[in-house]
Amino acid sequence: MIQAFRRIIITVLFLFICTPASQAAQDQSTSSNDAPIDVVGKVADHHSLDIAYMHIPLPRILFVGGSAIPHWYWTTEAAVESGNFAEENGALVTSGGSAITLDMSITSHLMFFWLAIILTLWLTISMARRYRQGIGRNVEPQGWFQNLFEITFVFVRDEIARDNIPDDKYEKFIPYLFAVFVAITFMNLFGLLPWGATATADITVTAILALFTFLITQWNGSKDHWRHVFVFPGVPPIMRIILTPIEILGLFTKPLALAVRLFANMLSGKIMIIIILGLIFIFAEGFGNFAGIGVSFLTVPLTVALYVLKAFVGILQAYIFTLLSAVFIGMAAEEHEHHEEGIEAHA
Amino acid sequence: MGLLGAGIGAGIAAIGAGIGIGLIGKGAVESIARQPEASGDIRGAMILTAALIEGVALIGAIVCILIALGIGQ
Repeated sequence: MIQAFRRIIITVLFLFICTPASQAAQDQSTSSNDAPIDVVGKVADHHSLDIAYMHIPLPRILFVGGSAIPHWYWTTEAAVESGNFAEENGALVTSGGSAITLDMSITSHLMFFWLAIILTLWLTISMARRYRQGIGRNVEPQGWFQNLFEITFVFVRDEIARDNIPDDKYEKFIPYLFAVFVAITFMNLFGLLPWGATATADITVTAILALFTFLITQWNGSKDHWRHVFVFPGVPPIMRIILTPIEILGLFTKPLALAVRLFANMLSGKIMIIIILGLIFIFAEGFGNFAGIGVSFLTVPLTVALYVLKAFVGILQAYIFTLLSAVFIGMAAEEHEHHEEGIEAHA
Repeated sequence: MGLLGAGIGAGIAAIGAGIGIGLIGKGAVESIARQPEASGDIRGAMILTAALIEGVALIGAIVCILIALGIGQ
């Protein structure tokens, strides 16, 4: 009882500490334009981290004009001060003639991506060490940590991998599926923390994840998979002219849809919360402060409900990404034993 | 005009996805009612199919966001 009370007190204190900072960040971002709330600025990638009252600039790494040696600066300001670059509409451009060929700058989304990967690595390595000691193999799993992640691992192995990938091959893909599941869950849930950013609300992050799935799918494609792409058993030859391009296109649309699904879900959840909270500011600006206070009684509980929904959607989308990866890998790795001409379904 | 188009497009995408996911939910609930012991498998298939439909709808929604924000003009 006392412990629960203490936890609530700490949570409330934490919220009070967090709120002014997020408000300050909002004032800063609204000063640049006239809109009461900057929706795009909240979901976009930044070259700095705003954590716990601190504004941490992140390094800029820029490749200019085809040279292999990058320009390296610790902050965006340092890049501008060096004279090689100028800031234009919030983006860096070179002061010389040559254009920036590749921008490898470290951004806030990348930091959260790394954080998720470090957490995943720490989790898997510490779990593996426990199992090597015999805890969980010879005796029961001990502690909430091992129990929680053993459930996750068994879920990924049984419900995702074994159900969708042929029996003799599924074990090879469990490490990838588990890592993707846990890392995406972490990245999705980081967006719900104060000062956090949803790394998966960035198409580049999800595209890289989908690219991994695509490469693994194609590397492990069986002979039958490729035959179904290029030559169709039991289909009139003239139909192959139509079907082969469709199948080749289908190879690429699957990972594309995978990337866009995760990206759009996370982005839309984030935009929805910002817009519903932003109604307070819009009403306050349009009809006076009392209207804003009145609307806040409606929108704040709604936002709480949306937060719960978003936490659920974050885990669900990680599950769907992993499940569809497993389905695609399973479809490619499957070997058809009996070829029934004509009625063979190909995916 | 672009904003109007984006709004209408997002609405149509939502209608399509709503009909599709509604039909999936209908089918899943009916089959769970008929065979409660198979509810686990049905739920998995339901989520998978809903995700496939959702992907298409979200691609439409993303196009609408891009139009509304004026990216690519």
